[in-house]
Amino acid sequence: MNGTVVKNQLIFDFASGILGPAKSLFASTYLQLNSNASKISNTFENMLGENLMDNENIHPKNLKYTDCINNENIQSASNPKDPVTSFFGNLNNLNWKQVYKGFKEYTASIDDKDELKLIKMDPGVSVPLHSHGGKEYILVLEGSFCDEYGEYSKGDIQINDQKIKHTPIASKDTGCVCLSITEKDVIFFGKYGSFLNLFTFIKSFFKQK
Amino acid sequence: MEKSSLNNLMNRIQKNRDEIAFSEIFDFFAPKINAYFIQNRIKIESSEELTQEVLSTVWVKSNLYDSTKSALSTWIFTIARNKKIDFFRKNSKINFQEEDIREFLYQDREVDPIEENEAKKQIERINNELDEQQKIMIKMNFFENKSHKKIADELEIPLGTVKSRIRHILTKMQGFLR
Repeated sequence: MNGTVVKNQLIFDFASGILGPAKSLFASTYLQLNSNASKISNTFENMLGENLMDNENIHPKNLKYTDCINNENIQSASNPKDPVTSFFGNLNNLNWKQVYKGFKEYTASIDDKDELKLIKMDPGVSVPLHSHGGKEYILVLEGSFCDEYGEYSKGDIQINDQKIKHTPIASKDTGCVCLSITEKDVIFFGKYGSFLNLFTFIKSFFKQK
Repeated sequence: MEKSSLNNLMNRIQKNRDEIAFSEIFDFFAPKINAYFIQNRIKIESSEELTQEVLSTVWVKSNLYDSTKSALSTWIFTIARNKKIDFFRKNSKINFQEEDIREFLYQDREVDPIEENEAKKQIERINNELDEQQKIMIKMNFFENKSHKKIADELEIPLGTVKSRIRHILTKMQGFLR
């Protein structure tokens, strides 16, 4: 599938409000970092706003405007914060797990369908050639990485499906921090492939409660 | 109601906390917001509660609305959508750690006013180039969040046709959104 189509699908689904918690966090961070994505989302929200404007009327039976003025449950505006910092706190204070030298990850359990992870790669570190069982979404938060398909820096996303095999390498100068969503486990190839596949296979056992 | 008169009402709320102006906004939007929740398969008791929350937010956070950045209906739609997300999340079986992420996920984004004008042009283009059935499908799919199966049943066309037409609309929209 065309990459732009999948990216826009993510934005449309976010604007419609049908994404689960992990993808919502991912998408709202994407919109915050990427002005083009934010523009697309805004256009789509405008369209949905038009739908609201022209929507049919179903009058509430037990609601008067004074109920809304005197509703004390709604708090006044808070300061907007960025989603990643608000959710994870200071990234330096997280309990990162080292997967191998120069590659660390932190998994958040907020969704039973999609796995949300932060990935930190030291400068020049690479990931062995692999493909994906389900879709994988990667958003660059800091630094950059490149692979066979191009270079990705802050605010860029890459969406990989079963057909993609790639070898991402973190920038030699900056390394990178990424937010990732995996729909299913990754399948590895190459030198350490069978070992890493075994690892994800074993890991999947511990995930089943 | 005209968009400009809605904006005037909103302006009066922002400047003078004008309750009469708010009552007019309420009269216009409350039935539409309530319908939106019902279309999204939320029961009537909850839909009215959510409608109250949306319009309370409009009243309390009126200072967050900027008419140069988006249409009032867009701003109110995003508030309603976010309430819907919260509602489904609170009612799902999953136990979230802490208060859950809704507090900070859906803060207002900054939008450049110039880009906003572009967005208006894009909407006009989209409206001109999509036919009635395509518009209905967009509404059913993305506004009412109906499944493709449900859309097929309601429009009495095969499921495969719905899927391919929605894919076609999305591809067409890629072009508009460039």
